[in-house]
Amino acid sequence: MTQENISGAAPSLARLVQELNRLPGIGPKSAQRLAYYIIRLPDDEAYAIADAVTSVKQNIVFCDECQNLTDTSPCQVCSDPRRDRSIICVVEDPLDVLAMERTRSFRGLYHVLHGVISPINGIGPDQLRLKELFTRLGRLEVEEMVVATNPTLEGEATAMYIRRHQGREDLRITHLARGLPVGGSLEYTDETTLTRAFQGRQEI
Amino acid sequence: MAPPKTYRSETVILSYTPLDEADLLVTMYTKDRGKVRAVGKGARRSTSKLVGHLEPLTVVNMSLINGRSMDIISQAEVIQSFSSLKEDLTGISKGLYLAEMIDGFGSENSPSPHLYQLMIDTLTVLQADSSLEMPLRFFEFHLLQVSGLMPELYFCVECRNELEPDAHQFSPNVGGTLCLDCSPEDAHLRPLSLRALKVLRLIERSGILEASKLNISANLSGELKSLLSTTVKYWLGKEIHSNSFLERLHNETLPKV
Repeated sequence: MTQENISGAAPSLARLVQELNRLPGIGPKSAQRLAYYIIRLPDDEAYAIADAVTSVKQNIVFCDECQNLTDTSPCQVCSDPRRDRSIICVVEDPLDVLAMERTRSFRGLYHVLHGVISPINGIGPDQLRLKELFTRLGRLEVEEMVVATNPTLEGEATAMYIRRHQGREDLRITHLARGLPVGGSLEYTDETTLTRAFQGRQEI
Repeated sequence: MAPPKTYRSETVILSYTPLDEADLLVTMYTKDRGKVRAVGKGARRSTSKLVGHLEPLTVVNMSLINGRSMDIISQAEVIQSFSSLKEDLTGISKGLYLAEMIDGFGSENSPSPHLYQLMIDTLTVLQADSSLEMPLRFFEFHLLQVSGLMPELYFCVECRNELEPDAHQFSPNVGGTLCLDCSPEDAHLRPLSLRALKVLRLIERSGILEASKLNISANLSGELKSLLSTTVKYWLGKEIHSNSFLERLHNETLPKV
């Protein structure tokens, strides 16, 4: 969206709309609504948003260990002595760590790849944090690696690549269970998922 | 007459990208409409009825709704998932290489049932044995043929004389093979061995099963791979990204997963 598109708006407002419009999922109309919402906010709340954006850009770094985004390296998880250091969970994205932590069912360490191998988009192993993972596996006394990439074609390809290249014979490599989602429907489930759900059936 | 609001199509999924909060923008090649880009609303949610039906390299019976800017996927049912192919990294990489080429050569509103069938046949053969290289060469050659870009293999494209059983030259820029007497100034000109020419002629007239059974030397395989992938790249006008990952896997000597 250009400033000409919103003729009549003050230049500073037009600039804010333009910047908000850059965000993913924010179209021109949403950008206008957000901009007018920000204008109507009390000063301290509006400045808090601006300060949060500035602060995150100034302070966020990659954790030297797990490659997750953090204010200090090593991050809270990696520096927590209560975490189980015998198991490491490999995820695609920092948001996946948040999802895992919400479950409170995993107390081990993480490694964030920051993407998946996507041959069609020209993203190969060198564009991910795989070298850091393999170095870490050689250094840590990890007994199990849970490869928790998404169950998509590219996620599976990444998991296979990790398994092929991790270089440790004594490491137990697992992935998350495949099957039916809570609230899902058998009728609409694809054959691969249903087959895997059968394979992973459990006693009740 | 106004086009129907909804339509059904047998389609092979080529790729997708995330769109908005939970949608997917899916690129597919349909049997009767050519390339189609459509939105799968909410398809990224784990409880969506579309989940698992829109993975690349899957053959799907699809119902779509004509949209103002983009069609909307209303239903999808897997016909063939090629699940064995997807259990192997080499198989996935080769399948994605095919998908990227179809995406590059396929056009919207320009159906090519031959191209569709070529994709299905090649995936089927690769699923049986993903280590084979010849299915890819067969695919590249027939992709050019279906697209009206088949290289000349019997007459010199410059002097029009019938080619003698000898070594020759090849250039995608002039449309195929040249005899050694004709050497136009052409940056794409490259040598073509007699054995490579014979294999290309065999690929032209044989089916994919016959071509895939051909047992050729590593050198000859390398010559054909270089010639055909360069020709495909020349006509596409851009790099085929998935080829570099495929090359990387090919060059690794690690055991198969």
